[in-house]
Amino acid sequence: MGSYVLRRILVAIPALLAAYTLVFLFVRVAPGDPAVAALGDYASAEAVRALRERMGLNDPLIVQYGRGLLGYLGGDLGRSLITGIPIGTQVASVLPHTLQLTFAGLLVGILLGIPTGVLTAVKRNRLPDYLGRTFALAGLSVPAFYLGILLILAFSVRLRWFPVMGSGEFSDPWANLRHLVLPALTLGIIMTAFVTRMTRSALLNVLREEYVRSARAKGLRERTVIYLHALRNALIPVVAVVGSQAAVLIGDSVMTEIVFTRPGLGRLMVQAMNQRDYIALQSMIVLYAGLVVVINLVTDLLYGVVDPRIRYD
Amino acid sequence: MTRRFGGRRLRAFVRNRTALVGLVLTLVVACLAVLAPYLSPHNPLEQNVYNMLAPPGGTHLLGTDDLGRDVLARILTGARVSLTVGVCSVLIGAVLGSVAGLVAGYFGGRVELLLMRVVDLLMSFPALVMGLMFMAILGPGMDKLILAIGLVLAPQVARIVHGSVVAIRQTEYVTAARAAGAAPGRIIVRHVLPNVLGEILVMSTLWTATAIRVEANLSFIGLGVSPPTPTWGNMIREGVRWLVVTPWLSVFPGLAILVTVLGFNMMGDGLRDALDPKLH
Amino acid sequence: MREVVCVKRWVCLAVFTLGVAASAQVLKIAFDAADLRTLDPHYASATMDRAVVDMVFNGLVRYKPGDITVFEPDLAERWEVSPDGKTWTFYLRKGVRVHPFTGALDGYELTSEDVVFSLTKAADSKTSAYAGEYAGMTFAAVDPYTVTITLPQALSPSLFLPKVADYAGGFIVPKRAYEALGEKFATNPVGTGPFRFVRHVPAQKVELAAFAGYFRGKPKLAGVEVWYMPDVTARLSALATGEVHLIEGVREQAWVDTVKRMRGLVVDVFGPGETHILHLNMTKSPLDNPIIREAIAYTLSRTELIQAIGPDLAEPLCGVVPTYLAGGLSCDEAQARGVFYEADLAKARALLAQAGYPDGFSLSAYITERASYRKPFENIQAQLARVGIKLEIKVTDHSSFHSLIRQDVNPLVHYEAWRPSADAFLTRFYHSASIVVTGAKPDTNFSHITEADALIEQARAALEPAVQAALWKDAQEVILRRAAALPFYVLKFVFARSDRLDYGYELKSTLALYPPINELTSLK
Repeated sequence: MGSYVLRRILVAIPALLAAYTLVFLFVRVAPGDPAVAALGDYASAEAVRALRERMGLNDPLIVQYGRGLLGYLGGDLGRSLITGIPIGTQVASVLPHTLQLTFAGLLVGILLGIPTGVLTAVKRNRLPDYLGRTFALAGLSVPAFYLGILLILAFSVRLRWFPVMGSGEFSDPWANLRHLVLPALTLGIIMTAFVTRMTRSALLNVLREEYVRSARAKGLRERTVIYLHALRNALIPVVAVVGSQAAVLIGDSVMTEIVFTRPGLGRLMVQAMNQRDYIALQSMIVLYAGLVVVINLVTDLLYGVVDPRIRYD
Repeated sequence: MTRRFGGRRLRAFVRNRTALVGLVLTLVVACLAVLAPYLSPHNPLEQNVYNMLAPPGGTHLLGTDDLGRDVLARILTGARVSLTVGVCSVLIGAVLGSVAGLVAGYFGGRVELLLMRVVDLLMSFPALVMGLMFMAILGPGMDKLILAIGLVLAPQVARIVHGSVVAIRQTEYVTAARAAGAAPGRIIVRHVLPNVLGEILVMSTLWTATAIRVEANLSFIGLGVSPPTPTWGNMIREGVRWLVVTPWLSVFPGLAILVTVLGFNMMGDGLRDALDPKLH
Repeated sequence: MREVVCVKRWVCLAVFTLGVAASAQVLKIAFDAADLRTLDPHYASATMDRAVVDMVFNGLVRYKPGDITVFEPDLAERWEVSPDGKTWTFYLRKGVRVHPFTGALDGYELTSEDVVFSLTKAADSKTSAYAGEYAGMTFAAVDPYTVTITLPQALSPSLFLPKVADYAGGFIVPKRAYEALGEKFATNPVGTGPFRFVRHVPAQKVELAAFAGYFRGKPKLAGVEVWYMPDVTARLSALATGEVHLIEGVREQAWVDTVKRMRGLVVDVFGPGETHILHLNMTKSPLDNPIIREAIAYTLSRTELIQAIGPDLAEPLCGVVPTYLAGGLSCDEAQARGVFYEADLAKARALLAQAGYPDGFSLSAYITERASYRKPFENIQAQLARVGIKLEIKVTDHSSFHSLIRQDVNPLVHYEAWRPSADAFLTRFYHSASIVVTGAKPDTNFSHITEADALIEQARAALEPAVQAALWKDAQEVILRRAAALPFYVLKFVFARSDRLDYGYELKSTLALYPPINELTSLK
């Protein structure tokens, strides 16, 4: 398995290089200028030129390209053009928030989605099924930012149960938790929709399989059949989808972070885009692409855990 | 195509209540979009700075926005934008993605490796960030927005088409056609394409839902269709500034998005069930 | 149901205890920003950055807190100017302490060496965005408490003092701290002000602590936290629940009116405000025809634009220099000089017909997605449509907008600006040297006007305040007569605060563009 992981990582390197090259060219083709962004409406041509020089943007493109690449090889993500803060520090300070939100969303999704999915499958074509499926579709259809706005409107603006501001600090777990509830719910509802649908269709497929029929024929209790035999096998595609949806989930978490003004990787990325912070954007995209590679790898490895028949060589 | 989507499946589709509801929802939204100018007594572009942020009721059924424009008229007009952007960008994405997927799947080898690597690469970016980058390069405007979303969708299309083609290229009739010396282009158009078209069609409804959501996301961030043309995303964005003052400004257009996307999703779901006999 | 109530009370109780116990005496401000950009005062230009810089640094002189029309001593106790007006001498206050920093844990005393270093830094385009303001000046330390500044040409006090005041390049950066911190200074500023920098939590906040050694005395507050919250609903909710005490608001009437009605909250609307001016590109057809420009001037209604924003927040602007600055042109004066425009659609249509465009024409222009620009521009679009002028608006992100207009792509540029003097306004927007792309020192002359050069230069050299102001008004008359720029309104600033917050001074206008927090500010 070790060699399998190694091989997957080696294969990812050209992809990361391509991602870097693509973003490097992308941001420099787009209009907008980090020096202008930094100077704001005060930007005179003279000040812009001087700042560009200081930012190293007047160097030949190939030099800038190489500089970024060399940095990555040495594990250095560079410094933000706007603030001068090392990207590594910036990412390290927001990543825990993004991970916390994503995992909380995932957890809500699994805790609510799998039981709902089982329920809809078992009560197929009856009321709980229709309700569950409609809910799931609605969950897939609602834009994350809109859901967030509705939750803010109800629970923060009207009821004032939860704060809207930032994410709270980890040193204060209670405040941190209260800040997490609404964003996690936003993401969790969307995730629940995914998981419900996957669990339902996977379970329905499995329930038709031979061994389930034989288990039933052996006179095992229906509950045992479903939870011990069917669900376990149905979980494989569910894990696959949850894994592949992690990328989508991160996309939704960007919008959630924006709506809830939570610090996070997504907001950092959009902000870097808005300020044309080339270096920050490049590094974060490369990092993000790397994260997707890792998530995909972990998903594949998880297959092995749920389904011992799969082996890696 | 008729061969794959015959009467029996059509009946299955009609029997599928989800699909039917979806179809009805979509048709209603489409009708509203087409009839928008005749349905609303107000011009969606007409400003009245002396009647801004009026509450729902009276002559302005859903109130007015922060430039005194009628919200209902703007939501109806916004339906046109959302549907146009949704359908056109899916067309672009489906054509680009299908060509890439067909070519990669049919020819295999290095072409396949290269194309699918590019697809993997593009898919490793979050859709939103990709949309942001395309919009940054292309500049503002509805045509640019359609192209940007089309480009965001294309890799997803390519991956699915590729998967289907790989399954088909081994089948007897394709091998037979190939053995008979038919040109690759002819085989693709005559034999492979019809077989994946059904799936593309079904997925298109789902992609349209995605496209409308991406449009809303981009508009919400502030990039997208230019004013004065109303879009639901823009309206929500504007409304959010007034969330404490006049919450309905963002709640109504959001409902419109929800209903429309739900319609497409339900329809797509139903179509897929109707086409996939395994689920019956 | 009982459970729900329970949870609610419990949560409310928690909010209450946290809000009161943990954060007593620490003032929390929330700004409309995603994060800081730079805290190097010689680069800081955005409001949220200026706010921090304002609390951490001092100038040689300062604008009186809450009133920008009066200069007061700050680091300098007094100052004098030589008879030829070219040499200014500043006598520094003794015993001014620099905040502690790595390398000098007790700080040190600020002297003339630091002042000369800081001004030299501000004058160098490699280390300052405001270098142009100090071109040709020399700085010298006569003794540890005396500094002289020699100018290439004499300047009136109203033009010179802002350069050494507590604003932009005038903030004094302590030499040893800057040299010790190097690149990190921009996110770890060290100065002499009432609050010292503690830490920056990226994308969340900056923490400042009271500086006990502040030369005006120990601040009443224990510290200040500057929060970055780009969403106004989040800011307002946080204010309503007591999580923060002061927030940047929405600069529109409906918002101000709503918040005013909320219990325990106070809304401050204050100056000086930013000018909103539409620049017409005199080189782009058909705007190169003065009749067309005049037609546009008679199409656009200032009254309607102001109504769209709100009369309490937008004050009519009839000259290109606002009246709160020396040399500003009032509406009455504009009228007297025959350069006052207000909507007269019949006249506008006649002018269009005269110019050969009876049915109007089409234009296409970029605007930023920011509401304070986009909203009036959308109203301008609707107004122009009344005479058949079709304006296509292309919305883009803020930094692209600033780049694109500096590449001269727009026939119409809507610009929101604040400048410290009439000279800065006129030179940067209307002098031929400042013409975008092609000027000698390209800046923000979007209209390409050249006819006001002579008057702007004469005014700059004038030493007699009355003469200078008259020349500035003449220059504006030239600009308005050609309809190169159409002034609409001055947009004031809006902040909302808890009624527990007492600034410690009367707030009328402030250069920092936020209500300054100083040693006298307190929380009741």
